[in-house]
Order: sequence, then structure tokens, then C-alpha cells
Amino acid sequence: MSGTPPTPGFPGRILAVTLPAGPGGTPVTVGGQNALPLLPEGEHPNAPAVGMEVRTGPMELPPALAGAIGPFAGDPAAMARKCAGDWGARFLFLSLAGCHPDAGGQSVSEGADVVREVLTATPAPVIVGGCGDEEVDTRLFPAVAEAAPRPVFLSYAEEKNYRLVAGAALAYGHGVVSWSPIDINMAKQMNLLLADLGFPPDRVLIDPLTGGLGYGMEYTFSIIERIRIAGLSGDAALARPVLCHLGDAWKAREAADASEGSWGDVNARGCRWEEATGLACLAAGADLLVCRHPASVARLSGAAWR
Amino acid sequence: MALTAIDIYKLLPKTNCKECGQATCLAFAMQIAAGKASIGLCPPASEDAKEKLSAAAAPPLPKVTIGTGEREVVLGDETVLFRHEKTFYHPTAIAVSVRDDVPDEEFASRLAAIRRLSFERVGQRISVDLVALRSASGDAARYARAAVAALEATGLPLVLLAPAGPLAAAAEAVAASRPLLAPPPEDLGPAAKVAAERKLPLRVRARGIEGLSVALADARAAFATSLVADPSPETPREAVSLATNLRRLAILSRNRDLAYPSAFDLGGGFPDPFLAAALLVAKYGSLLVLDSADPADLLPLLTLRQNLFTDPQRPIQVEPGVYPIASPTESSPVLITTNFSLTYFTVRGDAEAAKVPAHLLIADVDGMSVLTAWAAGKFTGESIAKMLAECGIREKVTHRTLVLPGMVARLSGRIEELSGWRVLVGPQESSALPSYLRRLPPGAFLPVHG
Repeated sequence: MSGTPPTPGFPGRILAVTLPAGPGGTPVTVGGQNALPLLPEGEHPNAPAVGMEVRTGPMELPPALAGAIGPFAGDPAAMARKCAGDWGARFLFLSLAGCHPDAGGQSVSEGADVVREVLTATPAPVIVGGCGDEEVDTRLFPAVAEAAPRPVFLSYAEEKNYRLVAGAALAYGHGVVSWSPIDINMAKQMNLLLADLGFPPDRVLIDPLTGGLGYGMEYTFSIIERIRIAGLSGDAALARPVLCHLGDAWKAREAADASEGSWGDVNARGCRWEEATGLACLAAGADLLVCRHPASVARLSGAAWR
Repeated sequence: MALTAIDIYKLLPKTNCKECGQATCLAFAMQIAAGKASIGLCPPASEDAKEKLSAAAAPPLPKVTIGTGEREVVLGDETVLFRHEKTFYHPTAIAVSVRDDVPDEEFASRLAAIRRLSFERVGQRISVDLVALRSASGDAARYARAAVAALEATGLPLVLLAPAGPLAAAAEAVAASRPLLAPPPEDLGPAAKVAAERKLPLRVRARGIEGLSVALADARAAFATSLVADPSPETPREAVSLATNLRRLAILSRNRDLAYPSAFDLGGGFPDPFLAAALLVAKYGSLLVLDSADPADLLPLLTLRQNLFTDPQRPIQVEPGVYPIASPTESSPVLITTNFSLTYFTVRGDAEAAKVPAHLLIADVDGMSVLTAWAAGKFTGESIAKMLAECGIREKVTHRTLVLPGMVARLSGRIEELSGWRVLVGPQESSALPSYLRRLPPGAFLPVHG
């Protein structure tokens, strides 16, 4: 019997996608691989990229986050500079949660101003997330697409709004994040719909919906593995880089509850919760991770090898 | 690779004698290929056929057990490379280490700390499985005493990380508890002898796949049969690669010489042990030894393990009942959803985000989502009315108003008719719960009288 480990070869290759940077910044390119993640086989021209979330609107921060990012939470531009400059985030995910009616309801034009501000404050690549209110987002995405002084990615296009989001992105040269709720068929369908609109495939990222550790992580893990294996096996509609937003990790009681002494220090625990969520995503095949804690950027970059 | 029905058929007598209970040899071959019959049912089969077919029927990754009774830890016995292909059966075992050269008091408190690494999550207990006893004193008698003490204090099976002398002494002292013998590579010979004599599992440690193929053969030559393979990586990256290669050799190549559960010692200065452990839980580590006993490290790792080793076809169910959201009172809203864990987590998360205290009823529908349970006839006007009557919510609130998931709005009439409760139709998606709950009129949950 041969002791040489078998290496599965794949006919397909994940499309390389670039998140453009501003002048003096470093663009992020992910994808391009023809093999499974973390393994020294096939070609991995690009390492996974770890970015950070910058958020508008009020947010109750768990203890671990309050200490680390609390001082910057109210100032998106300062937070963006800190993330990209000091904490090593390779890209930013700017969430315009503050435009949600329940979050104090910044106006759409105020949201667009924040985008302009953040894009001027840092040359790092940026993905702009909507506020989650269906009605507001239909006005927000076109405004953001117009206001952004350089190309960004809009997050996200889903079944209900993809025409609007993709249309706005196309008109101003942005990319889109294609979202589906832990459903490989829907993920594929979304990318086919975008292709039907003539959207350039190398400006699309897949967001499979990332469950937090302990709260649905296993579904995300298997969906990413299935999407990746399908993409590598030749399904072009799924051969796209995968983006995982780790924010749900912080919703877990285990990540935020200081009252449970037997669970260990709440600061260390919160960080570990986000880190373990991110590591599982990387093991499954994620190409881009969005985290909230500065320590997670360094920790997860430690496993973001090519 | 697994044999096909045709491969198997070629090995059979092809007499269609029906002794196996099947009409033809080909039908029997198909039964074997599907794992529904074994060659033992075919008396006329040749010795050669029996040997080949029983080897093919054995699991590609053998099972190794450590410990006895309730605390028995099972390693290996996996059949797929990806959990979505079927499931993973035996969760990565996690051992936390203790040294034998620390003062007695510290030794005892460390064991107590390991004993406490056990947590309740979604109705399951998740715990550290083993204690790894590191020989640092070099004193055989002391090591053996420490093994006895560790076993007594924790009841957990032991991994004996020790050179030949202390290892033999401890093996003698605690053999009945079926510890895993884990000698350094240079002491494999004498340790394999002890393992063979006492029929104990043995961890074979060598550098890489090449090193292991020699060392595992040596262990087998010494008649040690229950083996665990440690390819001794130097970095997390190497660990993931080696664990993957070992698992692929077992499952894809059916390489019997290298098909063993894997073990990794992530203590003793191994770089980035938490990161390595999380990746190895996801990617094919069968047994991990950690030096950290910090619950802030272990709770996330054990939770990750709980997630990934859940059978994808049998989702975790939440215990049905009444769940409080943010200290509800007798006039707080009453919501209902089903006991599929993902449904529950989503609804609970959204309800908590609303910051409106509420009672959340979790209906027993065998772990289905709202729409699936409705379609399957498990989430019905009848079942909901029954739950309202029996779950104790009537004693917790003074009003009789239920917020129903918007997806099953059509059940409202039947519920009102059967239960006497008023039904408010909630949002279609639970993500809309925060704004829905905040906009409910203050009079929605007034007490009922009489």
C-alpha cells in the first residue's frame, strides 16, 4: 500500500475578486485558488483577508468590545482610521445600521455622508452594508452608490432587492455581496440572477449568512464547504470568494455575559468566541472575515495562510 | 476504495445457492456493497473471498477506546471527509494536562479545575474528556501515584505522557481504567510491549507520515493493536495538513497501515494552541492535549465541537417550554415558535434585540422550523391550543394574547376557537420582531377577567 496521501484534484477554480483601495491604499484580492482551504496543495495565489466592522448607530457593546472599540464607536471615520491604520484590518465593512428607523433613524443622506467621510479618512477597501430595513435600504443603496468617491462593494444583494442593489452598483462601478440564508441553491440562484443582469462575475462575493459559534455555526460551516466544493468542482455560479461576517458571535450569551464566573474572564471569552467562529469559517473555506474585536484581526490573520 | 457490487460478485461462488437468503449471488453482492449483508452469510465462499470482503467491510478508520464505563472515550470510526456527506460520529476528544512534579496542593487544585471544565449547552453536557498526565519528575513511583490520584480526583480516563519507566509503573497502577499510553518516540519499543501485555491503547508519535508508517509498523510488530497516530507537527498549519492526510489515507486510500485516529499534543510550547485546536476540531483531529485549563479557552472549543459533531440530518432540538426574555412580567407579550435550534436561536436573538421583555413559548415539533412543522402537521391550532393550556403560561401572565409567527397566520382562527386566547399575527420574518414588538399598542396585553 502506498503511503502517499491522496490529493483530490479539482477541475474548477474560484474566481479572483479584488476589493479596490483608494490612493495610497492596498487593494485586497481574494480567490483564485483551485484547492481546499488551509492545505499545501493546488494553487492558493491569495490568502484569506481579515477586515473589521465600522458601524453607525447606537450599539450595546459586550464587555470585551466596550473596552477595545468603545472609545471610537461614535465616530466612524476615526474608527475606520484605527481599524485600517493601527489594528491591521485589510478592509472595512461599513455598516450603516444607524439609518434603521429603530436605531435613531439617520437619514439616507446622512448615511451617504458617512460613506464619503470614511472613504476619505482611509484608503482601505470598503464594503458598505445597508441598515436592514427593506424600505430604507431601497433608498440607501442608490444614495451610497452615488456618494462613494471610489469603488466599494454593496452588501447585500438578496432575492428581494438584487435588481436595485446590482443596478446601483453597475451604474457607479461598485461590486456586490450576494446574500443567501444558509442555502446553497439560493446562493447559486442569486449569482445566476446577477449574471442575467450583466453584472461582472469578478465583482461578486458570496455571503452565506454566518451563524455565531454555538448558535447555528454548524449550518454555516457545512454550507461554505458545500459551496466551495461545488465551485471547485466546476459550478461557475458558486466559484466565488465567500465572505463571513462574524458579528453574530457577539450575540451569544457566552461571549457577552460577565455574570458567569465559571465560564472564565468575559473579555478573554468574548475574543475567543469571535476567534473560534472565524477559525471554523476559515477551515470551511471562507475568503474574507469581518470581525469586531481588534485582537481577532491579528489572531485570525495567524490562520489566514495561503 | 470501497468495493463495488461487481467486484464483490467476482469473489463469490456464483452458484446462486440461495443459502444467504438472496435469490442470486449478484443480489447478495449488491446487499454487501450497500452494507446490508456480510460475507459471513455465504458458507461456500472461499477463504480468500472472506478475507478480502471482511477487510472491505471494516470501517475505514478503526475505533480506539480509552477509559471504561460511562467515561469511555471513543476515537476514530469515521466514514466521511465532510460532515454534510453523512455525519461525524466521534467528537474530537479533548484532554487537559497536569504535571506530576508540582506540589500536592497545586496538583489537586489543577485537577479540580479540570473537573470543572464541564458545561450545559442546549440540553447537552459538554466536557473535557481526559486528563493528560505529564511526567516531568522522571520519578516512576511518583508518576504512578499521581496517575492514581488524577483518576480518583476526576474519574476521567488518563493519557499517560511519560517515558518508559514511569509509563510502565503508572500502567501497572491504573491499567484497569484503560489509559492511553503516550511515550516519547524513543521509548516506543518498551511502551508497545506494555500496551500489548496489558491490552492498552498506545499513542505512536513520529515525525510526519513517513515517520509514522515506520513507527506504526514497529508497534504492530510488538503486538500493540489499539493505536493512535501523532505525526508531531511543529506548527498549526502543519498539524491541519497532517491530520487531513491521515484521514484521507484512511477514507480515500483505505490504507490500513496508516488508518488510525490522530492525536496531537498542543501543549509544551506548541505555537498558538487555541488556534490549532479549533482548526483540528474542524479538520480531523481525534484527540487533542491542551495545557490550558482556562474555561475561556475550553468553553468555545467544546462548543465548536458540539456544533460540528451534530448529525446534520438530526438538528439539535431545544427543550420545549416557556423561555423568559429580559425578565418578563405578567403583562409581557407571549410569543411562540418551534423547537428547531436554529429557529429558536434566531427568534430568541431577535426578541432580545427588541429589549421588550417577553415570554417565548417553544413548541415541541421534533426540531422542525415553523413552516416545515406546519406542513408536517406538527404545528397546528390543536397543538398550539394544547400547549397554551398545559405549559404553565396561564399562571405566568394575566392576559390571554398570543403573538403567532406571520408564516402561519392561517392558524389564528383555529387557535382562538380552541384556546380562547386572542391571536395577534406577528411578522413573517423574526428579524422584524424588534420593530413589531416596539410598536405593539400598550393595551395589547391587558389582563382578562372572569
